[in-house]
Amino acid sequence: MKIAVLRRLAVAAGIAALLSSTVVAEEPVRGGTLITTLPQTPRHLNPAVQSGIVTGAPGAQLFAAPLRYDEDWTPQPYLAESWAWSDDGLSMTLNLVQGATFHDGEPITSEDVAFSVETIKANHPFKTMFGVVEAVETPDDHTAVLKLSQPHPALLLAMSSQLMPIIPKHIYGDGQDPKSHPRNGQDVVGSGPFKFVEFTADQQVILERNDDFFIEGRPYLDRIVYRIIKDASARAIGMENGELHMTTFENTVRNIKRMSENDDLVATDEGYAAIGPINWLAFNTGSDGPLADKRVRQAIAYAIDKNFILNAIMLGLSQESKTGIHPGSPLYYPDVNGYDLDIDKANALLDEAGYEKGADGIRFSLTIDHGNPTTKPQAEFTKASLAKVGIDVTVNSFVDFPTWANKISNHDFDMTWDTVFNWGDPVIGVHRTYDSQNIKEGVIWSNTQQYANERIDELMAAAGQEIDPDKRAALYKEFQEILADDLPVYWTNTLPYHTIYNKKVGNPPLGIWSSSSPYDLVFLKE
Amino acid sequence: MGFLVVLAQRTLYGLLLLLAVLVLNFTMINLAPGDVVDTIAADMGGASAELVAQIRAEYGLDQPVIVQLGNYVWRVFQFDLGQSYFYNRPVTEMIFERLPATLLLVFSAQIFALVVGILLGVFAAQRPNGILSHIVTLFALFGYAAPVFWTGILLLIAFSLKIPLFPVAGMRDVTVEGFFPQALSVAHHLVLPMLTLGSIFIALYSRLCRASMLEVLGSDYVRTAKAKGLSPRDVTMKHALKNALPPVVTLAGLQFSAVISGAVLVETVFSWPGLGQLALTSILARDTPTILGILFFSALVVIVGNLLTDLMLRLIDPRVRGKA
Amino acid sequence: MSEQTHLKARSPFAEAFEMFRRNHAAVAGLVILLAIIGVAVLGPVLYPGNPFDMVWAPFTPPGTEGYLLGTDYLGRDLLSLLIHGARVSLTVGLAAAFVTVTIGITIGALAGFYRGWVEEVLMRLTEFFQVLPTLLFSMVIVALFGASLLMITIAIGLVSWPAVARITRAEFLRIRELEYVTAARAGGVRNGGLMFRVILPNALPPIIVQAALMVGSAILFEAGLSFLGLTDPNVASWGQIIGSNRQYILDASYTVTVPGIAIFVTVLAISLVGDGLNDALNPKLRER
Repeated sequence: MKIAVLRRLAVAAGIAALLSSTVVAEEPVRGGTLITTLPQTPRHLNPAVQSGIVTGAPGAQLFAAPLRYDEDWTPQPYLAESWAWSDDGLSMTLNLVQGATFHDGEPITSEDVAFSVETIKANHPFKTMFGVVEAVETPDDHTAVLKLSQPHPALLLAMSSQLMPIIPKHIYGDGQDPKSHPRNGQDVVGSGPFKFVEFTADQQVILERNDDFFIEGRPYLDRIVYRIIKDASARAIGMENGELHMTTFENTVRNIKRMSENDDLVATDEGYAAIGPINWLAFNTGSDGPLADKRVRQAIAYAIDKNFILNAIMLGLSQESKTGIHPGSPLYYPDVNGYDLDIDKANALLDEAGYEKGADGIRFSLTIDHGNPTTKPQAEFTKASLAKVGIDVTVNSFVDFPTWANKISNHDFDMTWDTVFNWGDPVIGVHRTYDSQNIKEGVIWSNTQQYANERIDELMAAAGQEIDPDKRAALYKEFQEILADDLPVYWTNTLPYHTIYNKKVGNPPLGIWSSSSPYDLVFLKE
Repeated sequence: MGFLVVLAQRTLYGLLLLLAVLVLNFTMINLAPGDVVDTIAADMGGASAELVAQIRAEYGLDQPVIVQLGNYVWRVFQFDLGQSYFYNRPVTEMIFERLPATLLLVFSAQIFALVVGILLGVFAAQRPNGILSHIVTLFALFGYAAPVFWTGILLLIAFSLKIPLFPVAGMRDVTVEGFFPQALSVAHHLVLPMLTLGSIFIALYSRLCRASMLEVLGSDYVRTAKAKGLSPRDVTMKHALKNALPPVVTLAGLQFSAVISGAVLVETVFSWPGLGQLALTSILARDTPTILGILFFSALVVIVGNLLTDLMLRLIDPRVRGKA
Repeated sequence: MSEQTHLKARSPFAEAFEMFRRNHAAVAGLVILLAIIGVAVLGPVLYPGNPFDMVWAPFTPPGTEGYLLGTDYLGRDLLSLLIHGARVSLTVGLAAAFVTVTIGITIGALAGFYRGWVEEVLMRLTEFFQVLPTLLFSMVIVALFGASLLMITIAIGLVSWPAVARITRAEFLRIRELEYVTAARAGGVRNGGLMFRVILPNALPPIIVQAALMVGSAILFEAGLSFLGLTDPNVASWGQIIGSNRQYILDASYTVTVPGIAIFVTVLAISLVGDGLNDALNPKLRER
């Protein structure tokens, strides 16, 4: 654990790290309206039935979760004042704080916890989170016991605001479909530090302080206004001219760099470890073509100069990610082959695989499909890089997501640049990419690479149930070593997500869940 | 009476056009690969096969296209544009939320372009071959020839970033309370988008105004007016302009489709919360009911805009008033 | 008025040419336009190399390291992109104008020539396309059926033809009643011949002006689609350069300003030429 923290500190901008520690020491002030941003309009505000960061950010203010996390991945009490595993790892007991109420004054009880878990299990897209929860027992109003069919260490991370909001049974348990419940987007009744005021699509979400919040004296802010601004440059101008106090999930590197040079602003990449966004070049290993050969995939990795991506495209603002687990995670294992640029080796591997250069200098042709505009530089860079080893690449850009997703998820592609999130524990966001049981036509971000390796399947099954952190880390070490050699996916870097905040903002959300964590500690200095 | 019949005919015909718009686009959208469920799954950071199938069934997307089309048209006849797949809200509700913003932008830009265009046109017509006249014409052309989003970005950099006179995004300041301060805030936010969108059409209006002024100024009755000893100012304003206006207004009426197109781009640049932004999102998300709803309402704006132009022409042009 | 008598002696073509030549703005526009076309045609020879090659560090400012216009977000030579982009943008402009004019003339000619129910149906169709919001409709087409240049060209043509159809129809309605048409009809010329060999040549002047202006608006239209991200990434049109560099506007604004200026100058030149053509070919104006 410590190593991961140290590394993260070293990689993160040193100044930002220093600043965040001094900020904590400052005396919080009550009052004020925090103006922050959302990069797109959320479908609605209920994270129990909707994943994603734009629902997660206001969702974490509206709804409290059993646990919250600091920047060291350490769980802290939140709605649960204490929690405990049973010795066999088959049950988790949560003791809820006394006297907590929903925004409409109804008490928050263990019934609501049980209802929330059931709702999430039935409706949330991440089935692995609560799939093994067989029942939630409620011996009294303040005790909830989650019964599991097998040990499930990922549960701890799943109990944070992004993934396990506690929603009121008396509102959402009225028999309507929770996925399209009218109270998901309007008149939301939550359990968190801020209450719903207004949600206008393409304009703003406005929240105000919950005076009856279960933590005495908090939150500090009177109001939070999330302005929905899709254009990254517009957000940057807004930060620079003082219209906005804070913006999260920024990934336009030039703008980040620019804002970081502004004396009033602080830019930091802290806070995105649990979200765990990774850029990668995915290979269709199940195709009949050259990509079925591991050596070809390795050769492609050797031919692409990762340093160009890290330093020229990302301007040094993102971290290298050698595996599918985010480098901010304690389970990341960095001592695997990173495929540094080696054109000779790439050529040798391609020759060895039987793909000699033709008379025109070309070995074979491939396509790159990309549906996410942010990976366009990588796609074009790959085209130029692979030309040097005799692979002719055509870039197909898809302007709308469905067309791209349809192609990829039906395995009708050679290569694609993509961005995929870890979502906390590997069980939630990592396994899906490599699990041979998860090769499912028509489902995007399943194992669309059609990669199958028995040992990998075994390792994932074992690690998913391993309670002992050290043993678990060892399983994931082997997992990452095998994958780095098989290379169904060539991982290059983390997304350069940054939080930029005005120095007026105290206690910005720099824990592992970034803006999807409660803002009860955030304040505005006067 | 005659006018009412014309109005009724045009309304009925307009409705038929709208229906055709819906059927054509519905069919087209359903011919393309992929659907909204992929976007919903993406928005959630991935989804299981079960969930994907479940959502598809809920929206009836697993049925044959012809059945879906039938259901859709039947609902439209009952004045129901359906639910947005993506936002799970009634399409009409979502459109009415944004329509005011788009209408405000479109009409204020039109009025701005008309006023400036007519002023420039009148000015240029005074001395049609003077240097100033040429400069005015060329200046007006700038707005036409520059890509509108590019003009917007340049204005944004100049007047939001370098000289922070205007807000960078959105339509109002949510921290402002009270009706008048809020109206003022909206006006403040409106300035740059309006200038940007209006700039495309200034050239068009000023050139036509100039040409039609020249035509009128050369006509007999203006010469008569001059001979009667009216001041040049009176001749210009009272006689010439009055007769030069109808063609300009007619042209403005024909531009509504183009103005809405420009509005889509301007809304994107200035994060203006209108239909354009919703359109882009829902086209990219393949949110069929919302796309169709937006096309429906933008076509409606064009049709109503044309009708209004007719009405205006009747008010300002006695010749049209005579013919029903 | 003395000019008029002077001009009357020559052929209509020479007359038009003379009118055009006297219009300084139009001549300037033509010169600029020819220069841009020259660049588009000869550019790859004068400035060889693949514009997609990464040649230097990204965002090298203009004028440094030997790159006149600097490099873009991938370290590609902006000048090279711009030169190759001229070819693409002009091609899209011309092709879209061609599609527009072809559809427009066909529909307008049929409607104006045959009148009756043919005219009724075709004009309803024209109105249908006129109430469709042009950009929104073409966004739908491009988003659904792929952002290739061909699809973009078709989309632009598909939403732009009604103006041409209306002009053609009006001209046909006017000309079909003229004496020489009646004479030709009496002389046994068939409908097809009447339409395309007798009437069309005389209906062409306003259509030519409209077509010229269409090239400009198609270039703008393509740029707009590119700005929204609806663009073909495998070719570098000016609009595409703007679209892909858009997010860097704050810092490296030249990557957007420069192609913007290219579009602006081209469209301006085209409309000046269009104006000149209009004055030269429009007999009504000539009389003044």
